[in-house]
Amino acid sequence: MISVSNIIKAYGGIAVVDIPALQVGQGEMIGLVGNNGAGKTTFFRLLLDLIRANKGEILLKEKNITVSEDWKSYTAAYLDEGFLIGYLTPEEYFYFTGKLAGQSKAHVDEFLLGFAAFFDGAVLKSGKYIRDLSKGNQFKVGIAAALLQDPEILILDEPFANLDPSSQMRLIKMLKDLHEQRRLTVMISSHDLNHITDVCSRILLMEKGRIIRDLHTSPDTLKELEEYFKI
Amino acid sequence: MGFVIVYLLAVAIGVGFYLKELIPKNFPGQDPVKVFCGWVLYYFFFDIVLRFMWQDLPTLSIQPYLVQNIRRRQLIRFLNVRSLFSFFNLLPVFLFVPFTVWRIGQEYGAGAMTGFLVCIFFLTGFNHFMILYIKRKTILNNWWLVSFCIVISICGLADYFGFFSLRAVSSAAFTRLLFFPWLALVPVGMAAAAFINNYYFLYRNLFLEDIVRKDTRKEGAEYAFLNRFGAIGELIALELKLILRNKRPRSLLMLCGVFLFYGLILYKPQYIASGSYGFLIFGGVFVTGLFISNYGQFLFAWQSSHFDGLMASHLSVRTYIKSKFVLFTAVCTILLLLSSFYGLLSWKLIFIQLAAYFYNIGINTVIVVYFATRSYKAIDIGKKAAFNYQGTGAAQWIYSLFIFLIPMAIYLPVKLISGYSWGGIVGLGIAGLISFLLQDWWVDWLTREFNKRKYSILEGFRQK
Repeated sequence: MISVSNIIKAYGGIAVVDIPALQVGQGEMIGLVGNNGAGKTTFFRLLLDLIRANKGEILLKEKNITVSEDWKSYTAAYLDEGFLIGYLTPEEYFYFTGKLAGQSKAHVDEFLLGFAAFFDGAVLKSGKYIRDLSKGNQFKVGIAAALLQDPEILILDEPFANLDPSSQMRLIKMLKDLHEQRRLTVMISSHDLNHITDVCSRILLMEKGRIIRDLHTSPDTLKELEEYFKI
Repeated sequence: MGFVIVYLLAVAIGVGFYLKELIPKNFPGQDPVKVFCGWVLYYFFFDIVLRFMWQDLPTLSIQPYLVQNIRRRQLIRFLNVRSLFSFFNLLPVFLFVPFTVWRIGQEYGAGAMTGFLVCIFFLTGFNHFMILYIKRKTILNNWWLVSFCIVISICGLADYFGFFSLRAVSSAAFTRLLFFPWLALVPVGMAAAAFINNYYFLYRNLFLEDIVRKDTRKEGAEYAFLNRFGAIGELIALELKLILRNKRPRSLLMLCGVFLFYGLILYKPQYIASGSYGFLIFGGVFVTGLFISNYGQFLFAWQSSHFDGLMASHLSVRTYIKSKFVLFTAVCTILLLLSSFYGLLSWKLIFIQLAAYFYNIGINTVIVVYFATRSYKAIDIGKKAAFNYQGTGAAQWIYSLFIFLIPMAIYLPVKLISGYSWGGIVGLGIAGLISFLLQDWWVDWLTREFNKRKYSILEGFRQK
């Protein structure tokens, strides 16, 4: 599903992302961990063609992302507020996203029914524009909008960071369900080692732009990661 | 903006030093000091207008400081003192001080000179703090803006039509000051009042500066008539919401409404009668294309806050670019219809505006979108529009030059070759129409141009 070869992104001569090769198969749940500055977000931006790599190529479903725009139709992402349109109400934003993905309003409404618990009554019909929502609720809107697009590849940057504990649990459950039902390929980053080892079947540990470990999650993985991050 | 400031300062210094020669030359036979006295208040009147448009409000995002161990009074004092470092406060010094020292000092003695200097300094201070206060008020309530404009217009018009003479007032006041220097205490009092007023206003509203949000319930809107147009309709609906729900584009829209009446100034009867259509064409391009040029100069930057999302979403670049064209064509058509009332001035204007309209939708749109692909500066749509130079770069200035030159470059040659002014106008219209019919080709080209610089645009927009 995702194929990365020889990708290098450097700023001022210093490589912030340097991945010689990475293959991700369909239905894999990839967790990206690493301290700040390891290059996680930059890597995500590269995957979404928001940054030009100095070298190398990225294929999403065998399609080079810099050559055609086809990847947009099966990839959805939420990285940060830069993905939200602040002056829309959450509903308007969902309809807009849905419409671009070719979905009817009724379909979006139906989809959102499933998010009632996740939104916890604070997102829909809130009478607020997205820019006036709390950070956590903004994140919920972004995540829901990404899922709404019914993608085959889903990319989320630190989805747990801004959510309250209950919402974190709900999100984990949602991701697991989606994976089971639809063999969704997921890439998420997180600083929460418990969650990420719980959700993901494969963990990539990044340091200074490189993937220094590629682990298939086993009962020992958490320990191994904790060992690495120990000060 | 920097160049404008340097230029104005240079002019002020030059004029200031040569004032003692300039006045006798332009007003021969009159006492230079009297002439000077007559102009001082004029300057301060225009100073108010200039400041209102250009002077920056010293803002400080206050929250990080409120939690620090700094007293509120100190914060306000800092805001006030920092605001004084404005080039508007240098202008009067450069303009008036040399003349005051040389002429008034020599002829009327040190007392009169001191009185004048004090007066000039404190009138500057008065204007400064008064404008800060008024500007802050206009942020809280738009009626202040309206009232201010009305008051200033009435003063200006009253003076222009001779109902009352600012010059006579100025002359009377400052001639008296020559003999009674202690009158300089009046502006001192005025400045102090303006300062204190501003100080207490800030003191009361220090917290409000961040929290001026009215909590009204926001409802979503839907523009059903756009549903038919698929993704493009959706993008246009998004753009309409952007314009209506954000301060800067909204005030730009109001500005467009005002500019619609610029035709009254630009369409001079003598041009219509004499057949010098060059000026009229400029007027027509301006009136029917004002939305394109105003909104278009930040075409993509308006969406800078969510550009990442747009580019990663289910949306092809071509559709995105195409939607801009459709939006421009629609608004331009509305403006053409609205501006048809100029036909009452002369039927010729209808045709000139029609030609200008075709130029705008056919050629101007292409230029605007092209320059947008070369503009990497983000803008904050929450800030007000007039004289906000955020996001303006060289590309914008070059673009404005094109707007003036290209219609002329089409009109003049055709006029010369055909020998008729109308030939030039028809030529302009046809050129626009042909370009409009080639729109799909332009869209393809601009999509390629956009893709070449896509990463730079994205990079620039992420930098706030």
